[in-house]
Amino acid sequence: MTALATGLGLTFRVMLRRKVTVKYPLERLDVSNRFHGLLALPIDPETGNDRCIICFQCERICPDRCIHIEAEGKGKERVLTRFDIEMDKCCYCGYCVEVCPTEAIVFVPHYEASIYHRGRLLYDLDDLRRSAPKEPIARGIVGGGPR
Amino acid sequence: MALRTEELMLNMGPQHPSTHGVLRLIVTLDGENIVDVQPDIGYLHSSVEKMMEHRTYVQNVALVDRGMDYLIALNNEEVYCLAVERLAGIQPPERARYIRVIFSELNRIASHLVWLGTWAIDLGATTVFLWCFREREMILDLFEKVTGGRLHHVYFRIGGVYADLPEGWVEECGAFLEYFLPRVDEYDQLLTENPIFLARTRGVGKISRADAIAMGASGPVGRASGVAYDVRKAAPYEVYDRMEFEVPVLEDGDCFARYLVRLAEMRQAVRIIRQALRALPGGEIRTRVPMTMKAPRGEAYVHTESPRGDLGIHIVSDGAETPYRVKIRAPSFNNLYALTEMMKGWKVADVIAILGSIDIVLSDVDR
Repeated sequence: MTALATGLGLTFRVMLRRKVTVKYPLERLDVSNRFHGLLALPIDPETGNDRCIICFQCERICPDRCIHIEAEGKGKERVLTRFDIEMDKCCYCGYCVEVCPTEAIVFVPHYEASIYHRGRLLYDLDDLRRSAPKEPIARGIVGGGPR
Repeated sequence: MALRTEELMLNMGPQHPSTHGVLRLIVTLDGENIVDVQPDIGYLHSSVEKMMEHRTYVQNVALVDRGMDYLIALNNEEVYCLAVERLAGIQPPERARYIRVIFSELNRIASHLVWLGTWAIDLGATTVFLWCFREREMILDLFEKVTGGRLHHVYFRIGGVYADLPEGWVEECGAFLEYFLPRVDEYDQLLTENPIFLARTRGVGKISRADAIAMGASGPVGRASGVAYDVRKAAPYEVYDRMEFEVPVLEDGDCFARYLVRLAEMRQAVRIIRQALRALPGGEIRTRVPMTMKAPRGEAYVHTESPRGDLGIHIVSDGAETPYRVKIRAPSFNNLYALTEMMKGWKVADVIAILGSIDIVLSDVDR
């Protein structure tokens, strides 16, 4: 009888403590600002374009060869015509972010990347630019300090 | 009429919740007693050794993360980077070597926590599982703040580490260690004197010292059988020669001894991390190594003490950007075959207890 009371006493005490778990779809955890989430090509507000200088370094370093870049024109008129990332192949290693000389490709702290159709995992130029306008999935992620 | 009995061959796995992956065990039974066990592997072959021949030295860091043992990504990166550094004669800076020690020891704790939790749940102790994963989550959070990844980090680089520790991380890590040590005592209280747990583990699955050596069992499995061998002591790498720690060795060689060894290893890992945090020097974290590095012609073998045992990697280079041949000596593979010796004469119900106690990861067995 006393054992039962002691046991239940402990249960009640633990029940009033701060919870360890999170009710996931309702509450979301913040991730750190170094988090390897989705890749994005942010728009530079000064030029209204992305910062890619078409050096192909990210395409070359990618261990899974999931980045495909094509460009047209010569000299200053050189423009990106294709910048595809196959996010289903991507292993989130971050080498592309590391080698990029102009910080054109960055990680966005967005971790809900699963999708119903495989075709939609092919991110083209528009998708990559769009995913950069921060759509924060939790509080205080983008630009936020350490949690 | 005499009653005729015959041996029964039972397939366990490849889909079985307690094989921790896809392992098929061909168990020969005489009634309920095990006569023979043959592990059948190859269901999780990732061909990582071959894939590494087609990727550059730098790209391979991302590959050893997940192609080998996925629970100890940082220990895999460490052994790979050490092997390439020995091959190419690169000396990483002091601070990077301390950071590597801190992270591989944290990963050792995380790996042992997964093992303890899943093994305890195999034996019917559900609470330990939840508690272990609660603490492991904190370690993964610590990893995420530095590396950006939770399981697969790609943090160690040839010649150092990728990024420096963020502001305040050292204090956070210290605070975690303060929190963690009493938790190990809690697991100890839950399990070590639990009569059900003792009945399932004490004296079960014994392997003698001679057999453990003959089967090539290393790490906690070997040390629980009295093989006092730890690569961190026997052939110190990184800065382990400056660290003070003990190598827990027990003589019993049963499941319970393997449990005690791993519990003691978690405490020793805390001790190592504390020393490394205190002695962490400033300065550079990375030697400049070009992204398209070429290793000189030659070969190198490096082995380290991973949470599962003696993890070695042998790289042969013909002077190109990619390795010519890579061979990984995986501890899980050898420990798995020590299983055949451990299981003889025990009952069907003990298969789970013994299999869990050797802590294999199937992607490490197959590579």
